[in-house]
Amino acid sequence: MVVQAKKRELKEAQRRKKQLEERCRLEESIGNAVLTWNNEILPNWETMWCSRKVRDLWWQGIPPSVRGKVWSLAIGNELNITHELFDICLARAKERWRSFSTGGSEAETEDAGFSAADREASLELIKLDISRTFPSLCIFQQGGPYHDMLHSVLGAYTCYRPDVGYVQGMSFIAAVLILNLDTADAFIAFSNLLNKPCQMAFFRVDHGLMLTYFAAFEVFFEENLPKLFAHFKKNNLTPDIYLIDWIFTLYSKSLPLDLACRVWDVFCRDGEEFLFRTALGLLRLFQDVLTRMDFIHVAQFLTRLPEDLPAEEFFASIASIQMQSRNKKWAQVLTALQKDSREMEKGSPSLRH
Amino acid sequence: MGNRAEEDYNFVFKVVLIGESGVGKTNLLSRFTRNEFSHDSRTTIGVEFSTRTVMLGTAAIKAQIWDTAGLERYRAITSAYYRGAVGALLVFDLTKHQTYAVVERWLKELYDHAEATIVVMLVGNKSDLSQSREVPTEEARMFAENNGLLFLETSALDSTNVELAFETVLKEIFAKVSKQRQNNARTNAVTLGSGPAGQELGPGEKRACCISL
Repeated sequence: MVVQAKKRELKEAQRRKKQLEERCRLEESIGNAVLTWNNEILPNWETMWCSRKVRDLWWQGIPPSVRGKVWSLAIGNELNITHELFDICLARAKERWRSFSTGGSEAETEDAGFSAADREASLELIKLDISRTFPSLCIFQQGGPYHDMLHSVLGAYTCYRPDVGYVQGMSFIAAVLILNLDTADAFIAFSNLLNKPCQMAFFRVDHGLMLTYFAAFEVFFEENLPKLFAHFKKNNLTPDIYLIDWIFTLYSKSLPLDLACRVWDVFCRDGEEFLFRTALGLLRLFQDVLTRMDFIHVAQFLTRLPEDLPAEEFFASIASIQMQSRNKKWAQVLTALQKDSREMEKGSPSLRH
Repeated sequence: MGNRAEEDYNFVFKVVLIGESGVGKTNLLSRFTRNEFSHDSRTTIGVEFSTRTVMLGTAAIKAQIWDTAGLERYRAITSAYYRGAVGALLVFDLTKHQTYAVVERWLKELYDHAEATIVVMLVGNKSDLSQSREVPTEEARMFAENNGLLFLETSALDSTNVELAFETVLKEIFAKVSKQRQNNARTNAVTLGSGPAGQELGPGEKRACCISL
């Protein structure tokens, strides 16, 4: 018995040693990656970012200390937003908050077409949603350290884009950016990110275009996971049931935050198609259990994913998803479907919706 | 998945939770299905799901509840979720008049997309905050009566009337279904002599069936 106990002890010690070594190796590789990003890649961004070597390193996950910088560069600033513009938008937002809280909302009618009531509802909604954004982190809620920053970014955005306004889901995206960037830079990244075609389609709730995105997703779904696809079809599990949450919040609400950030990393590298590839990676990872579930269990499972998602398996699963269908890439499939739906619209407008 | 009892049911009723953002739909649901309440629940984007099986007499009813996002802008999407629903809880926050003022719009949206005979209950939530009440009980009750809706005030926080609200809706649906089945049986008896076996679902039968009224 003593021998056995000793053996067990030894085994346990070995396991711990191995774990520690693993940890050291990981820290070392993160440390090395930080150096590579800081010294080699970031100073030569334009020439290096699409090289094979950088793309591979990128896939491993960007080290948190350079993540914000890389995201900013990758998202870009097509809209040419400056820190000054952010200050102006924020000042206007603050003015509005003040006038609403003192009840002087009637006086302001500068934005024709966007009624004072709408704007007030938007501000109210922002307030409500901030308290419901990553509540478990306790940093965005009233009195928390990042509360004002989140409020500022969202408020400034409604002044910058009154035509889009505040839409639920935005608070999660802004929060993830704030965790990695200063307020003004977070705003710049946020506005440019939302300006991308897929995000614009969703946040403006362009139903027709959203359906086109879902249709494109289903093309790759069937191609990659035919058995599961048939099961979903049979059970009326349409993509809107699970994709809406995933796409609107860029997975930040449904995945553990560290994994969500890794998804964002590659999303910044590969663009919108990676969001749909991630969805297929998730479906593939849980394919076996999902095929045995009925409608309601699948719906429940996908809208509340397991919290202990294994990171490496998950990314391996995403990696094995092919984003090619009959030699066509995501963008080509999407464009073809968009053309189809436009033609259908022309032919028989009543068929839409 | 789930325990055995949860999987033994005679009927599945699809029920939707609708109403403005922040009125407490998600908490009403978590109180009913898991007896939980969270002061800081997360914003619902799109739709979330829960189920609970309740016994009505000898029949086991599985309530399949669709908890939808309340944001106005999302309605184009969420209205698709009403299809096939046989029950709805239209929730407002009795401490915020604005959430009650738009109830009529929600009703229209619901009737446009759901079954015509859907059972609807108007629910004034947050009755624990009576000191900041903005919607008088009688006003809401009158509105419900005039529009053929059931009505209750609930508190997901202290559990008041939550069970009762869901169970009343389920009972009402069950009553409609039973009546319909009787009618069908009668018609069948006249025209066919006996009802087609596939449509009849005896209480003892362990078979799932999504009922549409």
